[in-house]
Amino acid sequence: MQNSSTPKDIGQISFGLMEPEEYREMSATKIITADTYDDDGFPIDMGLMDPRLGVIDPGLECKTCGKHSGSCNGHFGHIELAAPVIHVGFTKLIRRLLRGTCRECSKLLLTEDERDEFRDQLDESRKLSRDLNDVTKAAIRQARKKDKCPFCGEIQYDIDHEKPTTYYEVQQVLTSEYSQRIAGAMQGDEEEGIERTTPDELAEKTEIELTRVNEILSGSFRPRESQRKAIEKALDIDLTEEDTNKLMPSDIRDWFENIPDEDIEVLGINPERSRPEWMILTVLPVPPVTARPSITLDNGQRSEDDLTHKLVDIIRINQRFMENREAGAPQLIIEDLWELLQYHVTTFMDNEISGTPPARHRSGRPLKTLSQRLKGKEGRFRGSLSGKRVNFSARTVISPDPTLSLNEVGVPDRVAKEMTQTMNVTERNLQDARRFVSNGPEGHPGANYVRRPDGRRLKVTEKNCEQLAEKVEAGWEVNRHLIDGDIVIFNRQPSLHRMSIMAHEVVVMPYKTFRLNTVVCPPYNADFDGDEMNMHALQNEEARAEARVLMRVQEQMLSPRFGENIIGAIQDHISGMYLLTHDNPRFNETQALDLLRATRIDELPEPSGIDDEGEPFWTGHAVFSELLPDDLDLEFTGTIGDEVVIEDGQLLQGTIAEDEVGEFGGEIVDTITKVYGNTRARIFVNEVSTLAMRAIMHFGFSIGIDDETIPEEAQSRIDETIDDANDRVEELIEAYDNGELESLPGRTIDETLEMKIMQTLSRARDNAGNIADEHFQDDNPAVVMANSGARGSMLNLTQMAGAVGQQAVRGERINRGYEDRTLSHYEPNDLSAEAHGFVENSYTSGLTPREFFFHAMGGREGLVDTAVRTSKSGYLQRRLINALSELETQYDGTVRDTSDTIVQFEFGEDGTSPVKVSSGDDNDIDVEHIASRVLDSEFDSEEEREAFFDSKPRPTNLSEHADDRLTEGTEVTSDD
Amino acid sequence: MVDVSQHELVPEHTVLEDDTLEEVLEEYDIDRTDLPKIQRKDPALPDEAEIGDVIKIVRDSRTTEQAIIYRLVVE
Ligand SMILES: [Mg+2]
Ligand SMILES: [Zn+2]
Ligand SMILES: [Zn+2]
Repeated sequence: MQNSSTPKDIGQISFGLMEPEEYREMSATKIITADTYDDDGFPIDMGLMDPRLGVIDPGLECKTCGKHSGSCNGHFGHIELAAPVIHVGFTKLIRRLLRGTCRECSKLLLTEDERDEFRDQLDESRKLSRDLNDVTKAAIRQARKKDKCPFCGEIQYDIDHEKPTTYYEVQQVLTSEYSQRIAGAMQGDEEEGIERTTPDELAEKTEIELTRVNEILSGSFRPRESQRKAIEKALDIDLTEEDTNKLMPSDIRDWFENIPDEDIEVLGINPERSRPEWMILTVLPVPPVTARPSITLDNGQRSEDDLTHKLVDIIRINQRFMENREAGAPQLIIEDLWELLQYHVTTFMDNEISGTPPARHRSGRPLKTLSQRLKGKEGRFRGSLSGKRVNFSARTVISPDPTLSLNEVGVPDRVAKEMTQTMNVTERNLQDARRFVSNGPEGHPGANYVRRPDGRRLKVTEKNCEQLAEKVEAGWEVNRHLIDGDIVIFNRQPSLHRMSIMAHEVVVMPYKTFRLNTVVCPPYNADFDGDEMNMHALQNEEARAEARVLMRVQEQMLSPRFGENIIGAIQDHISGMYLLTHDNPRFNETQALDLLRATRIDELPEPSGIDDEGEPFWTGHAVFSELLPDDLDLEFTGTIGDEVVIEDGQLLQGTIAEDEVGEFGGEIVDTITKVYGNTRARIFVNEVSTLAMRAIMHFGFSIGIDDETIPEEAQSRIDETIDDANDRVEELIEAYDNGELESLPGRTIDETLEMKIMQTLSRARDNAGNIADEHFQDDNPAVVMANSGARGSMLNLTQMAGAVGQQAVRGERINRGYEDRTLSHYEPNDLSAEAHGFVENSYTSGLTPREFFFHAMGGREGLVDTAVRTSKSGYLQRRLINALSELETQYDGTVRDTSDTIVQFEFGEDGTSPVKVSSGDDNDIDVEHIASRVLDSEFDSEEEREAFFDSKPRPTNLSEHADDRLTEGTEVTSDD
Repeated sequence: MVDVSQHELVPEHTVLEDDTLEEVLEEYDIDRTDLPKIQRKDPALPDEAEIGDVIKIVRDSRTTEQAIIYRLVVE
């Protein structure tokens, strides 16, 4: 054995079948007895726990490789099967081969030309990386059509496959009651107009001698095949019955052994690596004990692994089989035992085959055998390899903390004390390291473990921490607690985009929740109604550096989906900014300083003016402008439709709200991120949110039922509108009943009526809303939220104050329920607004029971819709990610998959990252603007710029031989 | 019968000459089988296109003015 402690490179992996001889070669021992341990508790030689199969008990030495448990991976053994059995994993392929090859000479049932053609097709498919199965399936299909072998002429029979592992040959043979059937057919049938046939006629038709016919009719002669066919044709009957002949695994093995190598190639099998007869097992490998360790229970009893149980079964049957065969037992018993052996080997590999009862434990629990270890969510692939539980992670409920920066995360102290960072002690951090260790595992910031230079790892305890701290020297490692400023990864599921996992800086805090700034809610799609999030502490410098540079929240400010900022002010921030800037209110010095107190600004600018009392004042615009970069120039149409003008970092005009500083593409945040960088944008967003919180607290902001209540006069106007609409609907219905309604183009009369009613009613709702709106002041909190884009819309307000309006299911008025009516409260075929889910009331005035019911119907549809949509889109997303996950943009700009096939000739067809460039239909890249900005910053004066653009670049003169090429056309300027 | 290839929404498909094809393959350092595929029966193909030919498609792009794509004609 080589030195296995050095890591090895995998040079190649090849897939194929294993030859029985290979199983024997790699086997550490042959297993012959089903017993595991002897009476003294020692493993029995050549038993299932043979010490040559590896060690699990610590302290023991492996008899094969001499290593101890932990470093010995275990070694395979083998069982010599008394009779061959079929490998369940290959039943389909076995069936295919049986159907496609000759039962006599085993050659593929294709002429040589056909065979070569399929081989060529296979080569081509391989080149085009198409599915090879299409070709091999077609080859088998073609071969199955042959009822005679083109080489030896043997007649071929159908192969029946009885799942999972039984194969039959089906032959059509003469039925034993042939004489009765012939006689019956010769009787004829008067009702169906079939005439009688005399033996003479039959003899004539079939060209069989009359005496033979009579012999056949009497049942004393069995007609030959040609005679049978002639009679069948003459009398239009079927004289055959199916005769099935079971193919034993040994027969199949013999059959497959004779298939020539050239024929296998056509079926997509590489004959050098895999011979079909190897699909029939004659040797069974026994997994090492390390793959099926036995556990010692509390009472000292050993409990064996499911695989071991299964192997015991196999060995027992195998032995009984051999004994019976040697004793010359009848064929029937042998076949039964053979089937039993097949069953045990089958369930050893897969215990969830349909049609086969699963092998069970004594307790009745189905055994977990090989395939069950691999399959499914908890299987080896999905459960242990693609995803696994990790150390240094924490999960808890999240809650908001507006005092944190958006880059930070509040980590509960009990989490910080559990999760550690490795600290390499040097002279420079020795003092810190000692302090951490002396604080012990309970104090914060403390340490949980230290590692001496000799590699010994010591646990820091409350008892030993003081002494241990003194021993710590440079060269030690200290696993210290998380402290403020450490970088960690933070994640909320579902992780739908890359901003679902971002890096945050730790701020250790009391209590039990993770705290985060509310502006990072949109990228995580988080709220605080009980959401939990995961945190991962990074364990090496490389990971920490990568996280800090690439994954920090501020680096994820722009979404790669639409190229604009995904982080920005939300909800109350927006309302606050709106209140601060909308009417441009005035603040005295104390107030202005209070607004800005959580920002970097500690000195107020020049006052905006002096008020009537002679006191200086600062306007909302001036206060907000303090947060802007000094040289920011911006002009655009804002949220409320006014022009927002920023010049030299001063907000001159306009209201700051959602489209200015909001989460999805707030213009100012977006511009600052792109022009001034992520750090400046982080500062800006942090400061906007704190300023907004101060502003909203300054003005006060609350909402109550009175804010959605309208005066009586308005209510009666709304009632009137609704009555009007009801009248108009009645008119429409009357016109419809009288047949006076004219249908709209492309619509039936019924559809026309429905459409007109819907129109009328939605207009009524809008009118009611407009009336309600008239009575809301601009400072109404619901109006402020709707106008600023903080939350809610005017429609919500309309429904609260005016009328809720038509309820719809599937985009139509509510039509379902009883026969010809929605509820038993209404007459059948009542088409009125009320009877089909029009809600006249507002949420404030309250819904009637019937209205409430219709409202619940509409609401239910919405709920079901979102539930279905999320599950559908989640699945779609999974499929898409799986399909695209291996695509990669190459250095030449192309996007390719792992086999180097080109998917896009240029990434995104324009070769640009949406995060670096934002362009869209309504937002062309303003090349001139960018160019002039670059030039402005590049040249201090107009002259310099002129000089640069007029100067001709000197030709490079690397070699004198290049002189004559350069002199052509351009003049050579002297170098001195 | 409507000739789909003449529809304004169907981008221009042309068969690539051998020497330009060589250039393209060299530029991307690929075999022609590494190209995306197009079926011979695709109605957008010009009549003279044969299996094994490489088609140049010039189409309008959402992100840039025009995008050029090459496809290998397959069965
Ligand atoms: Mg939630
Ligand atoms: Zn070993
Ligand atoms: Zn044959």
